[in-house]
Amino acid sequence: MNVTVSFLGEDGPSLMSLEDMAMFRAIPTATIFYPSDGVSIEKAVELAASTKGVCYIRTSRPENSVIYSSNEDFHVGQAKVVYQSTEDKVTVVGAGITLHEAMAAADMLKKERIFIRVIDPFTIKPLDSKTIIENARQTRGRILTVEDHYYEGGLGEAVCSAVVNEQGFTLQRLAVAHVPRSGKPNELLKIYGIDREAICQAVRKMLSGSANAK
Amino acid sequence: MASYHKPDEKTLQGLKDIANKLRINSIKATCASNSGHPSTCCSAAELMSVLFFNTMRYKATDPRNQSNDRFVLSKGHAAPILYAAWAEAGFVKETDLVNLRKLDSDLEGHPTPKLEFVDVATGSLGQGLGAACGMAYTGKHFDKASYRVYCLMGDGECSEGAVWEAMAFGAYYHLDNLVAIIDANRLGQSEAAPLKHDMEVYRKRCEAFGWNVYVVDGHDVEELCKAMWQAQQVKGKPTMIVAKTFKGKGLKGIEDQDNWHGKPMPKDRAVELIKDLESLIQNPNKKFSPELPNEDVAAADLSAISLPSLPNYKIGDKVATRKAYGVALHKLGESSQRVIALDADMKNSTFSELFYKAYPERFIECFIAEQNMVSVAIGCATRDRTVAFASTFAAFLSRAYDHIRMAAVSESNINLAGSHCGVSIGEDGPSQMALEDIAMFRAIPTCTLFYPSDGVSTERSVELAANTKGICFIRLTRPETKVIYDPKEKFEVGVAKVVRQSDSDKVTVIGAGVTLHEALAAADQLASEGVHIRVIDPFTIKPLDASTILSSARATGGRIITVEDHYKEGGLGEAVLSAVGEEPGIIVTRLAVNSMPRSGKPQELLDLYGISAKHIVSAVRQTFAN
Repeated sequence: MNVTVSFLGEDGPSLMSLEDMAMFRAIPTATIFYPSDGVSIEKAVELAASTKGVCYIRTSRPENSVIYSSNEDFHVGQAKVVYQSTEDKVTVVGAGITLHEAMAAADMLKKERIFIRVIDPFTIKPLDSKTIIENARQTRGRILTVEDHYYEGGLGEAVCSAVVNEQGFTLQRLAVAHVPRSGKPNELLKIYGIDREAICQAVRKMLSGSANAK
Repeated sequence: MASYHKPDEKTLQGLKDIANKLRINSIKATCASNSGHPSTCCSAAELMSVLFFNTMRYKATDPRNQSNDRFVLSKGHAAPILYAAWAEAGFVKETDLVNLRKLDSDLEGHPTPKLEFVDVATGSLGQGLGAACGMAYTGKHFDKASYRVYCLMGDGECSEGAVWEAMAFGAYYHLDNLVAIIDANRLGQSEAAPLKHDMEVYRKRCEAFGWNVYVVDGHDVEELCKAMWQAQQVKGKPTMIVAKTFKGKGLKGIEDQDNWHGKPMPKDRAVELIKDLESLIQNPNKKFSPELPNEDVAAADLSAISLPSLPNYKIGDKVATRKAYGVALHKLGESSQRVIALDADMKNSTFSELFYKAYPERFIECFIAEQNMVSVAIGCATRDRTVAFASTFAAFLSRAYDHIRMAAVSESNINLAGSHCGVSIGEDGPSQMALEDIAMFRAIPTCTLFYPSDGVSTERSVELAANTKGICFIRLTRPETKVIYDPKEKFEVGVAKVVRQSDSDKVTVIGAGVTLHEALAAADQLASEGVHIRVIDPFTIKPLDASTILSSARATGGRIITVEDHYKEGGLGEAVLSAVGEEPGIIVTRLAVNSMPRSGKPQELLDLYGISAKHIVSAVRQTFAN
């Protein structure tokens, strides 16, 4: 299923929402859905129809592959672990386009014998802190968030808030740092540091940092 | 009374030729980028040709010159034809037009001020006319110059309320140096625009808003030349030219057809369409030079602006920061003629009236239309003609958020003051309380966010804002609070103040505005029990002084408590968390308004929503219980 639209890379910054998660997170009764494929977006719409308060569904323009089977169950405040192994070293949390970049990064890192766990939060608010914290504990407290949004107020800060008082956690965040410009979608993901390469690099850095800290 | 001289046949044909050249270049560029809006460009071709090569007076080699007529392409998705017009004028290289939307070209999908000829970024519809009003107001009342302002809008875009806020403003202020044009091509994006080609309804609506109106055939260059000339003769009213046009005009099989919005011409048809257009051009090599403007505007004064005197408070005086804002604005108005103020009918609450009473000629009352107020401020600040301060309740700036977002894309230097923040406003209740504004402004890229806690630091915020590039937001409080700084205290963006410390501080508490004072009260109470805390005033939430916060945290066992009159998402607490998040061994407890608030006395509400001194004391004690 193809979902339209808030972002077409070439249209440029006037049409890009990069502060909407901040905006909606600060609304008291809001539920924020950020589904990453066709199946979960249908479930999001269904849940939104029966959830009280303001529901916001953040969708992407480019086509993404379907990652869930059509009978997968979804709940508000319930994240999904979409990529895991017994040797995962870092938990990566992405959403929408960056979830797919994270999964691509997982494939790339596997070739270097580096294993990462990838989590799809499904709802940014409420955030499934429990799942994130449990999985992060299994990856030595290392979490990397990556979002198609500015740094302030989005997925990264939401995860930061959720894990604030966990001991021994290390959190790195990737997000868009400046007003962006026109370009092809994949070019923009690259120059704004939120694509699969940036994720791989951040993971390698976290691991070498930990190694050095020993 | 001047009389109209109809342009001769050669000139008229030349303008028609240019219109078709602009069509051709719009098609070529969007084919090359395989995206963009050529049919939108085609309906505007004669309008652009007449505006750029008959009506407007400007220096094509110096698009941003202060004396030039201004042009705002409110229907920003017609960017390709704007770029084509500037290529025809010689400023853009014609061969560069096919780099439209490429990563390394400044010819972006929608216009941004990376380009010299773009004053305000557009693409989010409904905002261009407000900015044009600001430019026109500045030309007429501040620069007192002869430049005129032209704004080209779409018909779909006229469903935006902000357009009508601007219409009301333009007429109210008699902006007779402003001409707006509606390119009424009948078709919107997913279906026809609501008024379709009912030109009489457009006429009546615009006349009802107090504008002088001409309804014209938007593809007839002679009618357009005449209407533009007539507009120049009208005194006391802005002019609206409602141009009946056809989307995709000149493109066989596409003109006036549904489903062509935002679609480049298919490559196989493009060649033929271009050939058809070329066959209409009689004099392909004729060049038009725009008429030069009167040079009656001084270059912008970019010198620093400072407070003419120290803040006039003693430590312990009680003054509301919203009042200190008004005092500071008045003082800056004395220091510099460039400082102007705008408000949305709240001037006796925001205290911008202190400026209004002293300098009424530099105050723009925008009435209860905050989206327009922000756009007018943006327009006034373009080309550095003014240093603009716009104020209202912080909560009401949220309705202007898209304008604020676009102000960042426009690289604007506007200053926004939002008063009556948080639950501390008391009895008025939640509709008037801003509890998400810190989140809102933190997420704006070029923003500096001041949250001063007393009269002295407020005056310095206003001074700093006047000299700080990008968008500045000053968060102001309704109730009176004590002055805690000496009038000689120096303040800088991104530099926090440690306002209470000792050698045995157990916890660092960070508050701002009312909660800084609650933190000081908590510090007093705890001190009487022999427990000492360090209290920090961040002064600016963005940028946040991470290094002061970190060193303080390290000196207090890694324990930080943040407390804010704001919801917990996206505010001071999360800002601090982000700053210290990568440091090991730091624990942050965040106090914030914990649910949808209600009416009550300010102090009752601070208690009820968990952000008063007693809650801070409790949180401090909790950090030891663990």
